[in-house]
Amino acid sequence: MILFLTQVSVNDVKNSWWLYLIGALVTLFIIGGSLFFALLAYRRSKAINMPKEVLKKTVVSSISFSILPSIGIFIGVITMAGLLGIPLPWIRLSVLGALHYELMAVSVAAEGVTVTTLMMEDFVTIAFVMTIAIIWGSLFALFFFKKYQKKVVDKVDTSDKKSFAPLIFQAVFIGLISAYFGDAFAKMIHYEVREVVDGAYTPNYLDKTTFVPLIVFVSSFLFMAFFDYLVQKKNQKWLENFQLSISMLLGMTIAVLLGIGGIY
Amino acid sequence: MKDYRSLMHRYGRIFTVLGITVMLAVPFVIMFISGVKPNSTDLFKGIIALSVIYLPGGIIEVLTYGPILGTSGTYLAFITGNLINLKIPCVMNARELAHTEINTEENEIVSTIAVSFSSITTVVIMSLGVLLLVPLTPLLEAEVLQPAFNWVVSALFGALGYKYFKNHLKLVIAPLIVVIIISLIKPSFVYGNIVVVILIVAIVTIAVARVLWKKNLI
Repeated sequence: MILFLTQVSVNDVKNSWWLYLIGALVTLFIIGGSLFFALLAYRRSKAINMPKEVLKKTVVSSISFSILPSIGIFIGVITMAGLLGIPLPWIRLSVLGALHYELMAVSVAAEGVTVTTLMMEDFVTIAFVMTIAIIWGSLFALFFFKKYQKKVVDKVDTSDKKSFAPLIFQAVFIGLISAYFGDAFAKMIHYEVREVVDGAYTPNYLDKTTFVPLIVFVSSFLFMAFFDYLVQKKNQKWLENFQLSISMLLGMTIAVLLGIGGIY
Repeated sequence: MKDYRSLMHRYGRIFTVLGITVMLAVPFVIMFISGVKPNSTDLFKGIIALSVIYLPGGIIEVLTYGPILGTSGTYLAFITGNLINLKIPCVMNARELAHTEINTEENEIVSTIAVSFSSITTVVIMSLGVLLLVPLTPLLEAEVLQPAFNWVVSALFGALGYKYFKNHLKLVIAPLIVVIIISLIKPSFVYGNIVVVILIVAIVTIAVARVLWKKNLI
C-alpha cells in the first residue's frame, strides 16, 4: 500500500503525526526487548541462586547512572530538530545512533543543505543514509559474535585469580579510561569543531582550546574518591549506588561554574 | 552456562534481526508515505563515505566491547546504541558494584540487566523530552548549561576512572604517558579517532600488565 501524497512539503512530513507514531513504536520495541532480556537474566539469576541484593543494586545504579548521559543524548534531538524536525532525530538517537554520526550523515547525504533549502528528497536521503551506514556493528555481531566468543573470549579463563587472564580485561578498561583522559587532555592543546547551524554542519571549522574537560575529568575523579571514602570508611553504604551519578553531576556543575566565570 | 548462553545467542540474533528490520523500516515508511525517493547518487555517496569509517569501527567495537557486555548485553547494546558514552561505562560500573568477573554467568546476568535498564532509561527520557519539548527546550538550550552537557563524557570517565585507577595504580602510569604523548604530538588524532586510541592504549596496558605480572609485581 503506497500512500502517495502529491506535492509533499518537507515541513509537513518532518513533524507529522505518523512520524511521531513510528517514534513511539520504536520506543516500545526497545523497552519490550530490554524487558525481555532483563526477565531472562532475572530468571537465570534465581536458578543459580544469585543474591537479590546484587540485582537490585544493578538496576538502581544503572538507572541513576544513565539519566545524565541520556539528557545529553536528548539535547542531540534538540540540536537536529531545526533541520530535521523532532521525530526523525528522536528515532535515530533511540536506535543505534549518536549525535556526531547523525550530523555527519546529514552533511554527506545532503551537502550544504540548510533549513531553508531542505527538500523532501534530501530528507528521505538523509533518513536512509543515517540508518544504513550505522548497522555494520550489529550485522557483525549477528554473524560473528558467537564464533568470536567461542574461539577467543572463552579461551580467557578469568576464574583463576592468579592467572594473567583477569588482568587482560582490567587492562582494557584502564586503556578505555586513559583514552578519555587523553581526549580531555588533547583539547587543552587544540581541538576544532564544525559549526552547526539549524542542525546541519556548515563548512566552517572553529579552532579552540579548553582546559574545562580536563578539569571536569579530574574533579569528577576527586569527587568519586571522596564518596568512595564515605562509603568505605564512614559506612555510608546508601551512597554506593549513586556515587557515580553524583560525582558526574558535581563535575558537570564545575563546568557550568567555570562557564559563568567566563572559562569555556 | 552453556545452554543459557546458546539460548541468549539465539534470542540475541532474533532481536538483532528484528531491530535492524525496525530501523530500516523507518526510511522506507517515510519514502512510501511521502512518495519521494532518495537521491540515488547522494545515497550511494553517503553510505560509502560513512561506511569507510563505521564498517571497521563497528567490527572493532564488537571485538573490544563484546566481552565486556556479555552475550545478550552485546546484542541488545548493538541495537540500542550509545555504546561508549553510556552502555559500556554503565556495565563497568555495575560489575564493579556487583564484584563479578568477565566471562562468568553472574557477569552475564549483571551486564544484561545493566544494558536493559540503561536502554529503558534512555528511551524513557527521550520520550519525556519529546512530550515536554516546549517547556524543556529553553532550559536545555540555556547558554549557562551548555558546558555541563558538552563535557558529560569527561565527567563520566573521570568518575568511573577512580576505582580502576585506585585498584591498579601500577598499570595506569604507562597508558597515561602514552595518551599524553600522542595528545602533545597530534591532539586531533586523539579526539578524532577515539576508538583507535582506545585500542592502542589497551594494547600498551596489556603489554605492561604482562611484564609486571611475569615479574610478580602485580
